[in-house]
Amino acid sequence: MELKLPEAVISKIDVARLMRELNSLDDFLVQASIRPPGTSTQPPRLTRSLELVAKDNKYNLLDKDHRRQLQAQLNLIMGQSPQVHISFAAEPSIAALNRIVGWFRSNIHPQTLLQVGLQPTIGAGCLVRTPNLMFDISLRAYLKQEEPYLVKLIQGAGGE
Amino acid sequence: MNTGGLILVVGSLLAATLSFIWLAFRVGSGRSKHPDIALEEAAKGDVEHIFNNEFREELRNRGRLHFEKIIGENAMFLQQDLRQTTSQLNDYMRTEITRTLQEEFKKYEQSITDAKQLALDSIEKTSATIEQQRKLLGQQLQSQAAEQKAIIVERFEQEMAAIVNHYILRAIGNQIDLSDQLDYILAELESNREAMIEDIKRGT
Repeated sequence: MELKLPEAVISKIDVARLMRELNSLDDFLVQASIRPPGTSTQPPRLTRSLELVAKDNKYNLLDKDHRRQLQAQLNLIMGQSPQVHISFAAEPSIAALNRIVGWFRSNIHPQTLLQVGLQPTIGAGCLVRTPNLMFDISLRAYLKQEEPYLVKLIQGAGGE
Repeated sequence: MNTGGLILVVGSLLAATLSFIWLAFRVGSGRSKHPDIALEEAAKGDVEHIFNNEFREELRNRGRLHFEKIIGENAMFLQQDLRQTTSQLNDYMRTEITRTLQEEFKKYEQSITDAKQLALDSIEKTSATIEQQRKLLGQQLQSQAAEQKAIIVERFEQEMAAIVNHYILRAIGNQIDLSDQLDYILAELESNREAMIEDIKRGT
């Protein structure tokens, strides 16, 4: 069964963060198990993303086997999940990014990870790069595509 | 010696001759025997009497004077002729020199005219060539100017399009909220979905 990633987990950085959190939680629980009972300890603070992953995939983070399975799944995602590079003209909002990653996971691959970049010269829209292809759906590309029409308009204006 | 003197001398000579002839006839008719000898002696005596040394000296002087007069007159005539000849020679020389000079001047003038005509022809040819070159150059310049103009206009139109695009990108690039673009982006992603799936399957 494939691990279901929440929309908050967008990139490999997020997956790596989840793995670090899971490791620290695992370390904490191992240390807690060998401590004498009644010892005061401070458990690591979990992020909402890890909680969502555990919740969506029905993993109990207190269970060692579940943690191991989740770790293995995250390792698998880190190594095998498809990664799409997407560039915007400006820093995208979390909500917009969530919608885009949701679309990818619904239509392309459920474990798609995005690598978000910035390219101010595209004006608007975005530039999507899959392993072998690039899809330019930016305003720059649209204007470039419509340039002959603009030239025609300029020529018409010059001829009048 | 004037003419009167000359006439007087000639008249006296003629009178002496006539008287001698008359005397000879009288003597011949009076003597019939041996008259010739006496007559001849008488004639000789008369001749010696008439043509004595003084008379001869006088005649010689008169002849010398006459000769000098004739020589003087001839010298005068010769001088006049010489002057006239000199004058004619001068006129002739002047005329000939003038004619020769005029001919040479005419030739020189003709040469100058020919040279001038030649120079004018050359200048006209040069002017025609220059005019032709100027027209050709003008045509080439016009042609090149038209080509350059077309190139510049074409480049301007292309650059103008790029400028407009760049301006639009700069002007609205950061002003459009991504959430406003989401529908367009998702629609474009949807249209490229199959290609993405295919590429990702191939990539994985």
